[in-house]
Amino acid sequence: MKPLIQNAAGDSLSALLTLNGVSKHFGHIEALSRVDLTLNRGDVVGLVGGNGAGKTTLLRLMCGLYQPTDGNVVYHGENGDQPLVEMRNHLGVVPEGTGLYHRLTAWENIRYHTRLHGIEDEVAWEKTLQLADALSFTGELGRPTRGFSRGMRQKAAIIRALAHSPDILLLDEPTGGLDVTSAREVRSLVGQVRDSGGTVIYSTHHLAEAQQVCDRIIIIHNGEVRADGSPDELMEQTKEENLEDAYVSLTADAARIYDDVDTEGKIAKIWRKLLTPRRLPSNTSTPEEVNEDE
Amino acid sequence: MSKLKGRMFRVRAVATKELIDFVRDWRTLIAVILIPLIIFPLLFIALPLLLESQAEERSEFELRIVVQSESEVTDFMAFLDGDNANITWEELPAGIANLSDPGPDYSRVREHGVNAILRLEGGVEDNSTIWNYSILRDSTDEMANEATKRIVTALDTWEELLIEATLEENDLNPNTTLNPIRWGGDIDASDVATKGEQAGFALSLFIPLIVATWTATSAMQPSIDMTAGERERGTMEALLCAPISRFELLLGKWIAVALISATGVLAQVCALFFAIGFIASSSDMFGVPELSLSAILLMLMSILLFAIMVVAFQLALAVRSRSTKEAGSTLGPMIIAIIFPAMFAQFINLEGVEGYWFLIPVVNVLLALREILTNTIILEHIILWAGSSLIYALLAAYYASRQFNREDLVDSIN
Repeated sequence: MKPLIQNAAGDSLSALLTLNGVSKHFGHIEALSRVDLTLNRGDVVGLVGGNGAGKTTLLRLMCGLYQPTDGNVVYHGENGDQPLVEMRNHLGVVPEGTGLYHRLTAWENIRYHTRLHGIEDEVAWEKTLQLADALSFTGELGRPTRGFSRGMRQKAAIIRALAHSPDILLLDEPTGGLDVTSAREVRSLVGQVRDSGGTVIYSTHHLAEAQQVCDRIIIIHNGEVRADGSPDELMEQTKEENLEDAYVSLTADAARIYDDVDTEGKIAKIWRKLLTPRRLPSNTSTPEEVNEDE
Repeated sequence: MSKLKGRMFRVRAVATKELIDFVRDWRTLIAVILIPLIIFPLLFIALPLLLESQAEERSEFELRIVVQSESEVTDFMAFLDGDNANITWEELPAGIANLSDPGPDYSRVREHGVNAILRLEGGVEDNSTIWNYSILRDSTDEMANEATKRIVTALDTWEELLIEATLEENDLNPNTTLNPIRWGGDIDASDVATKGEQAGFALSLFIPLIVATWTATSAMQPSIDMTAGERERGTMEALLCAPISRFELLLGKWIAVALISATGVLAQVCALFFAIGFIASSSDMFGVPELSLSAILLMLMSILLFAIMVVAFQLALAVRSRSTKEAGSTLGPMIIAIIFPAMFAQFINLEGVEGYWFLIPVVNVLLALREILTNTIILEHIILWAGSSLIYALLAAYYASRQFNREDLVDSIN
């Protein structure tokens, strides 16, 4: 069987991506705070954290979709340090929402992305068949994705991410909403990518899954990297007997709540403030009473 | 693959995907392509045919008309067409305040017992016999309206006859007395403009308006779908992770929207010319516009520059929105901002028009189209509208490229 992923650029364990003191602010919210990380070729890294921990922000910084407010992200390509944009040629991404066009068939979705990578349709089709075979998806390639279940959409998105033979695979909650069999197939595919020497960045809420799939786990909490190492190292660091206890110990402080994320324009902000009631109904009121007040 | 070839390949991939996606959405296809294709044939061919057939149908209505007067006015009754009508005479009712007071006839007119009642009352004024009249009818009833129309036609004919009789009694020739000033010869032969030029002039009063409005409206939906729609559905993130620059993405989407919009406008203009051709073939009142090759090329250039500006601006505004609802609310008023100057431009006198009018966005293209349709080619004006349109198009494209570089483009409302 052909490898599912390329490992063309450099030796295993050579640095692929370095984040130096990276911070990211949205208005006055600090989504990520002074992150220092090095991802090596061949790593299968799990990014674990709760909602709003900063996982997606970190992933987007790694892809170059966000620019750091402070610090820098360096891609170590075949020809030395290169702009982060260059990494996109070697990157396969499965976003949390899968990002499929519902009026296109699964194959058309995949073909769109391989074309953007400059791959001929014939070559892309061959690779797609190989991947679809591994995920038991061959019969669905010609169907519009509109009627796909969550699992089918996830599989199509994974094939799309791998069809241009990237050497880095980035998965954001890849098994979220999948049934047991589909989740196992996805994990098996990640295993194949790892065996082919590819680099995988695996973002998940589920610690057990990260432990099962990844060699290295990065725990993010409130925009900070709280721990970075193998499951054994994390347990040793926290003196806990299992990874779940280690995670709880590392993220013991309350998760932050974004109550004023600055995504509105000035006019929209003024308008919202004018129209938003300043006081909520009293705790003692029943819903009926509240309705009567209205 | 060379760098340029690679860029072209990616732009083409985006444009192709967007077009496939668009064609699969049959509702948008109907709204943007089919409706402009049928709207003018419907308006200019089907609607007159329908009106004609309805008028014929109305003329066959079986009507009940009552004529009320002090005594039967046989002179007049002769003009009232008895075909498909039951005409009866009655004496004027007593106790009515004036002829227009329905009095005892109110209920039978209201309940359509009769379709119309003509009341006639003779009198003398300045030694001449005059007739006062009124028609009692329900103006919301089609039969009553048809009855009223037939009565008025009969009254007009009777009035003409009375005037002629009065003039002859006084030894006056009705023809020379009533028409002392007349057109000599064939009125059409005196117009040195060809039928085609006349048609071009008439069309210059509304083709530019159609082009401007339809370019803006037909580009709106695809612009929203390809930008805010992508953000809303969460497809933008995966796309932006691909090795395509934001400018290439903008260009690919712009080409797709411009093609869709141009197809819509072209379909509408072709349908308009087809409808005009149909009317011209069935009547000698209207011709097909005659345009020189240079006029056609200038027309295409002006539409293209306008489309670049409008589509780029719509894409830029739509991509700022995180949902299609937000984008719709932003772009909706923009259509008004195009329609209003477009309407004003229709009333600007082209004769001796000041140069600055050709510098105002939207107005410049509208005036250019009006001039071109009348085959008027003035170099100074062309330089002004082409130059200013190019600058506006480039500014809109620059603004759009800045919006496509926004970091929050990846954020979805979901």
